[in-house]
Amino acid sequence: MKPIMLHGHERSITQIKYNREGDLLFSAAKDAQPNVWYTLNGERLGSFKGHNGAVWCIDVNWDTSRFLSGAADNSLRLWDCETGSTISEVTTNTAVRSCQFSYSGKQLMFTTDKTMGHPCEIHIYDVNSFSEPVAIMPVHGPKVTSAIWGPMDNMIITGHENGDLCQWDLATGDNTKVVQEHSKQINDIQMTKDQSMIITASKDTTAKLFDVRTLEKMKTYKTERPVNSAAISPIKPHVVLGGGQEAMDVTTTSTKIGKFDARFFHIVLEDEFGRVKGHFGPINSVAFHPDGKGYSSGGEDGYVRVHNKFDESYFQFEFEY
Amino acid sequence: MPSADTELKSSTGPSWADQVDQVEDGELPPPSEDYNKGLKVITEYKYNDEGKKVKVVKTYKVEKKRVPKSIARRKGWKKFGAAERDPPGPNPANTILAEDVYMQFVHDKQQQLQETSEKEQDPLAKLKGRLVSCRICKGDHWTTKCPYKDTLTPLQDALESADKPKPEPGAENTEAAAAGGRTAGKYIPPSMRDGATRRGESMHNQKRDESATIRVTNLSEDTREADLQELFRPFGSISRIYLAKDKITGQSKGFAFINFHRREDAARAIQGVSGFGYDHLILNVEWAKPSGS
Repeated sequence: MKPIMLHGHERSITQIKYNREGDLLFSAAKDAQPNVWYTLNGERLGSFKGHNGAVWCIDVNWDTSRFLSGAADNSLRLWDCETGSTISEVTTNTAVRSCQFSYSGKQLMFTTDKTMGHPCEIHIYDVNSFSEPVAIMPVHGPKVTSAIWGPMDNMIITGHENGDLCQWDLATGDNTKVVQEHSKQINDIQMTKDQSMIITASKDTTAKLFDVRTLEKMKTYKTERPVNSAAISPIKPHVVLGGGQEAMDVTTTSTKIGKFDARFFHIVLEDEFGRVKGHFGPINSVAFHPDGKGYSSGGEDGYVRVHNKFDESYFQFEFEY
Repeated sequence: MPSADTELKSSTGPSWADQVDQVEDGELPPPSEDYNKGLKVITEYKYNDEGKKVKVVKTYKVEKKRVPKSIARRKGWKKFGAAERDPPGPNPANTILAEDVYMQFVHDKQQQLQETSEKEQDPLAKLKGRLVSCRICKGDHWTTKCPYKDTLTPLQDALESADKPKPEPGAENTEAAAAGGRTAGKYIPPSMRDGATRRGESMHNQKRDESATIRVTNLSEDTREADLQELFRPFGSISRIYLAKDKITGQSKGFAFINFHRREDAARAIQGVSGFGYDHLILNVEWAKPSGS
């Protein structure tokens, strides 16, 4: 593989996301400008100017016309993808931690931090009218660290600071299900392409696979370091985990033993079969290309590494069991 | 033809002597673009930080791809934000082509490791049921692994030396003689003869198994062998510890070799101790390279 390194951020990457077709890659970092890139050649299409703080979460809608970003400057912005101009903005009381368009693209959801005396909340807005929220669901207890829409846009799944995984019913606004399988913060949740399962990445050094509807834990992928992000391949029974030494310990650890590799596991057998090196800090976000033939990772080192096509050996590799 | 070539040069561009003058003038040759068999070569001239003229040649591979309409439309979008002034094509300041990386297939390696260790273990396991009996307690295990080794061995040694003073040397001699008689027709070097001490081979056997040896570096000067033993014993039985020491001062030179009995133990020790902070220093543990190579 010949990766392309994208160096458009001055600080560590917080999240990367492909659009639906995979021709564009969006990246956000702790600096205030999310970027968008052409994946094929790594050319930067543009950057979204407007935030005044670390951008924690990004999302792009179904037809790549709108882009969403939530930041630590207590705001959520909706952008026009083509021009990079802000369409609407929501000001919140605290930092926006996670955000996502619903599958239909008509609604959006974001969660806020529990700081400065304000509670953690889940907000739901209509994309076309930002004046009034559709719903605000207060979260009692540990704060939400990652959240995604459930299938059919009728529920939201949240991962919490203490490792809880919750389901929220949108019809009633109630917390309908809680499971505690992780012992520490859930850093990332991603869904399979068919929306039947989710994978959670946790600081407790594991990633776990859950059924979306029942939240029944199905698989566990164990590593030695905190897992910051996990993604499921759309074409092969593989998951990729990104993580590594905690950011605060990085300066006292050499690259060789910091375990900054992207690690590939078999989804059913829970066995690691491959590693890809490259970053010299922990990986904060991983994403498979929607065609499954490549993946990208964004790290604490501020680089996004785009692997457009796996080597032939990856496709020929058969797991022996 | 050569004359024509020179003519062409002089007509299109300045000669090399004029080029030197041009630098002083501060003029740069115009950038040029060249399309050639799917390759686009852009040649630019600019001044670097030291004020010297630099020629920059960028070679792009031009590929045509059929894509869905929506992607093609997006390809035509204007750049915005920080990329607004970027020329078409990737900006080398932001987009860097990294070195080749390969996926390391972990599973294969582990399996190989397991297989080799199984091979090593197998003969032992087979022998265990039939042949193995401890010389100390007559139990079903190797003498070296006898749990009563420390308590019984000295006793037994004392008994043996009292019972029969040196019966072995005589027996060995007769055997060697018999073997020599059997194959009298050919010369066989002493080391190859049956019942000989097989010096060459035994030397070879005595050579330590390098495969389960690890190298520990970045140790502090005050480290002692006992410290290493304490540090590595939890991972498995250790056959030898070699700590490099200064001949005169007796202080550690900062590295050591640890031989384990089993390769898996060594592997676990590498996993466990590598990067371990020990005495204000961070230990570096890796497989020892075979000596002599």
